[in-house]
Amino acid sequence: MSLLLLERAQNGETTIRPRPGEQYRFHFDMSKCIGCRCCEVACAEQNGNPLEVNWRRVGEIEGGSYPFTQRFYLSMGCNHCLEPACLTGCPVNAYTKDAPTGIVLHSADACIGCGYCTWNCPYGVPQYNDARGVVGKCDMCFGRMEQGRAPACVDACPETAIEIELVNIAEWRGDHQAANAPGLPPAQQTISTTRITLPAEITPQLRRADYHRVRPEDPHLPLVAMLVLTQLSVGAFLGLGVLRPQGPIAAVAALVVAFLSLGASTLHLGRPIFAFRALRMWRRSWLSREVLAFSVFAGTAAASVLLPGLTAVAAAIGFAGITASAFIYIVPARPAWNSKSTLADFYLTALVLGPLFLAALGVQTPVLAIAAASAAQLLTSVVKLIAMAASEEFELRASSRLLAQDLRGLLVARLALLIAGGIVLPLTGHAGIGFAPALAAELLSRYLFFVSVVPRNMAASFFSREAA
Amino acid sequence: MNLKRLLGLDTLSADYAYADDPIWGRTAASRVADRWTKTTCGYCSVGCGMLLGTRDGRAVAVRGDADHPVNRGKLCPKGLSEHHTLAAPGRAMYPMLDGRRVGWDDALDTMAARFRAIQAQHGPGSVAVISTGQLVTEEFYTLGKLVQLGLGTTNYDGNTTLCMASAVSGYKRTFGSDGPPGCYDDLATADFILLIGANIAENHPILCQRLEENPRTTLVVADPRRTKTAMLADIFLPVKPRTDIALLNAMAHVLIRDRLVDRAYVEAHTTGFDELQQHVAKFTPEFAAGITGLDADVIERVAMLYGRAKAGFIGWTMGVNHSTQGAETVNAINNLALLTGQIGRAGAAPFSITGQCNAMGTREAGFTSGLPGYRKFESAADREELAALWNVDGGRIPSKRGLAYPDIIEAALAKRVRGLWIIATNPVVSFPNHNVLMQALESLEFLVVQDGFDPTPTSAMAHLVLPAAIWGEKEGTYTNSERRVSKVNAAVAPPGEARPDFDIFLGLAEKLGVRDELFPGWNGPRDAFEEWKRVSRGRMCDYSEMTYEAIEASGGIQWGGERLYADGQFPTQDGRARLYPVEWQPFPEQPNAEYPFVLNTGRTVEHWHTRTKTGVVPILDAMSPRAWLEMNPRDARRLGLRPHDRVTVLSSRSQVDGVELRVTEIVAPGQVFMPFHYVEANSNRVTQSAYDPISREPNFKQCAVKVTKTETGAKRWKI
Repeated sequence: MSLLLLERAQNGETTIRPRPGEQYRFHFDMSKCIGCRCCEVACAEQNGNPLEVNWRRVGEIEGGSYPFTQRFYLSMGCNHCLEPACLTGCPVNAYTKDAPTGIVLHSADACIGCGYCTWNCPYGVPQYNDARGVVGKCDMCFGRMEQGRAPACVDACPETAIEIELVNIAEWRGDHQAANAPGLPPAQQTISTTRITLPAEITPQLRRADYHRVRPEDPHLPLVAMLVLTQLSVGAFLGLGVLRPQGPIAAVAALVVAFLSLGASTLHLGRPIFAFRALRMWRRSWLSREVLAFSVFAGTAAASVLLPGLTAVAAAIGFAGITASAFIYIVPARPAWNSKSTLADFYLTALVLGPLFLAALGVQTPVLAIAAASAAQLLTSVVKLIAMAASEEFELRASSRLLAQDLRGLLVARLALLIAGGIVLPLTGHAGIGFAPALAAELLSRYLFFVSVVPRNMAASFFSREAA
Repeated sequence: MNLKRLLGLDTLSADYAYADDPIWGRTAASRVADRWTKTTCGYCSVGCGMLLGTRDGRAVAVRGDADHPVNRGKLCPKGLSEHHTLAAPGRAMYPMLDGRRVGWDDALDTMAARFRAIQAQHGPGSVAVISTGQLVTEEFYTLGKLVQLGLGTTNYDGNTTLCMASAVSGYKRTFGSDGPPGCYDDLATADFILLIGANIAENHPILCQRLEENPRTTLVVADPRRTKTAMLADIFLPVKPRTDIALLNAMAHVLIRDRLVDRAYVEAHTTGFDELQQHVAKFTPEFAAGITGLDADVIERVAMLYGRAKAGFIGWTMGVNHSTQGAETVNAINNLALLTGQIGRAGAAPFSITGQCNAMGTREAGFTSGLPGYRKFESAADREELAALWNVDGGRIPSKRGLAYPDIIEAALAKRVRGLWIIATNPVVSFPNHNVLMQALESLEFLVVQDGFDPTPTSAMAHLVLPAAIWGEKEGTYTNSERRVSKVNAAVAPPGEARPDFDIFLGLAEKLGVRDELFPGWNGPRDAFEEWKRVSRGRMCDYSEMTYEAIEASGGIQWGGERLYADGQFPTQDGRARLYPVEWQPFPEQPNAEYPFVLNTGRTVEHWHTRTKTGVVPILDAMSPRAWLEMNPRDARRLGLRPHDRVTVLSSRSQVDGVELRVTEIVAPGQVFMPFHYVEANSNRVTQSAYDPISREPNFKQCAVKVTKTETGAKRWKI
């Protein structure tokens, strides 16, 4: 698909069309923007989007002290990155980077509504449309550009603060410093192509207007269930492989849990019927790999009920699945997830819950191992919290603030339940009873994992749409 | 949600489809119109030209008119979403009498009978009328005649008094007439611009286009608050609240001291120079520095920049007008323009930027603070002329103005006014000292509210509600800040039984038995326009050569041409403009130990006035959903308040609860700011009953308050 000429009669320019090695990009002039938000409204009208979906957003940054106060605005659609993280993570190949124009396009038809791109983009560009069950994003008004017209935001700006221009891809890859601005995540991660003109005299300490407004994120309850239950099941198969209990009851029970969890995961999707498509991009997407690994795990685990020799194989594949799960979350755009502690956390859940599950079914389990895994899990949580609180990164500090303030009650409950179910009860000979509180602890933990993450994003305005 | 959607087979792709509009290109299919109606925006007085798109008789989109000289295709966020107001929930649909739906006949019969009965018992002035800046000029003209000659009361005023009255009075005192002398292009050509008490980046963002075109100008912004506009300034003057007169007088002092006065202009075209010179002698930059909090040398520098400018522009809005010294502050501004001859030339003007879309129309034709056509109540000749034009007895034209808006409210409280008709305005949110207003409205025997929305906080108190058409549903003209008369057209039918205000006025005239006398043969706004052309002929606001067709074809016609007073001739007795010595006074309610903060009020770009329209446009409501209070971090720290806390703002009158705290360096220590749009957190609960003795405009801008944390039972964390 090729773009026609982009004619800008008022400038007398007749052709600005990317040559090979070039692409379109936005230019945003922060020194001109007056924060009128015309671009946002024009974008919503252009695309007929509902209120919750904002393909173009205006944020505010502020610094200095009165009367030498500085206030500036950021206006952002998609940055049509050279390394689009949305595209890389997508399990169904719904994204394409249009070759002639460099525009990052998204296909609603291909999309299954997993929302993984919304976790990968450090700018919050792809947004899940709940009414449709699919994601959508700014496509630089591709349809208008094809007609030689400017995008709606460019057309609407009374200050000509937003423009479309061309960028030489190789040069930009070498130096994309101009994509950085206060109130934006570092451009390096995805090589945003948006060029930003900063005001001449800008103070370095500009703070985002939404600095104090950190809100818990979506809990993704189907994923809470899916993660904890797959980990439980994998842990149980590991336990079965090691302990080799009599009879098929425990194995069947663990298998039922595995299938339940995989079923639960499809509830997370906006389009569950197309869940199978998620296998497609296993070469590139951790999400595809997770789906693949757990599918094979489930199959092998089922076979192991009849052929117990496969139990250890199933467990090994299961751990591969858990690894893939963890790597889904280890993404730079979500700093609180982006560490090896996510991997440790997921493994340890398997090691705590698997044996306790077997214990609850009457299998003899080594309580010291359970207690040790639980203690390690506790340590992981506490160390992570402390590390986040001491971090330089705003998003990590904000996550720790959420956990320590808004979510403190749940955090304390989780730690207490884990101590009770994973340490005290097993060590006092009640490992079987310990399973329920430990399961509750890990479900709570995963809930907190989702709600306490503070994504990287552009600075927003002072208000949240919902009441603070 | 249906099963297909739950499974993911249906992604509502039809709802999100794109289509090609023949004019505008690819856009959401839901925004493709089958008809475009040329019109003018119905929000503020910038007067942007737009096209309102309809499909199957429903409004689906608006587009800025690229050929329009004012906005050149751009619109602000309110304009860009204006079509959503038309089919919004909460539109007034049917006449409602005491909460019951009635027919129009009943409604207008009752209204005429009740008002006549009150007048019979308590005199003609016991019925009063408060209108707006939002009707078309044809309606203002009709309403003025109806009220003053038909209903027979002079107690008629409009929202203009809460907004532009100080500019009107100031212009009249200096130049002999109302009428902003400059135009928007002056912003693009001036080499010096002083914006004083004007946050155009927030309130008139489309005007910022002119600033953007003029990068070589020196932009000076005087404001106690570091507004969006202040961020655009080359020089920001962080004046203490309401000290602008000291600043302006000191500028006059420097101009005179340093011989930057255009002596020839002053001698040829003004009176009062000696008195002014004497008066401003004491306003040395050092003296003014002590009052304003500015550095003396900054004041000198700004004065010199203005004095030496080839074309100097001074623009203002509510920071000047909303004051007990509003009219005088306008005089102090006009003094500077006259001293330097910075008037009547490209780029040179003392320019009042107006508020509502047709506040100018009511000033020209409205018959409230003056007779139609900028005629004066006091002038026997003006009265006779008008009487002759109308073919009525001269004695029927009142010789003095009736009660102004705040005095109508006071009279209602004292039961001197017992019947009140409020048209397209919402005093329950917009009028100062809310408690007093509520008592006044509750004291009325009969309150009629005519509005496009119902209930509004004001219509909720009415005995009779008359449902009116709004912008997009009726025809006429608006005049913008630069005196540009623009055409307004109907694109859709009003909802339910709502009628254009014009039809309601004629309907009431009929019931009052004055229709044939006052409006003979009238059927539509065009009839009013034709008469108004005759009435305005030869006046400063002369419409006599205009036609609807010519107005529409040209994107509006400025009466008086691009600029007024190019010849230095002023519509005063002696043809000269008057220099006024203006004394600076501290604002009336100073902060004290109990109420230590100065509260400033204002607007935000997403909303307009009392949100009856913008509050029902989902995207605007979501962008700025509730009121906030700006407080400097030093004060917040001292009070132990944190960002996003809910706070209570208290004055000696009342309090506003649950305002979201924004801790910010936008405001100075000791000052707090909140927007006035929100009925849910109404700043006018705490503002005061203090009015400019000349213009009667309220002092909305400064009052003494304290701020405490709002006690709520709710837990802070909710998931």
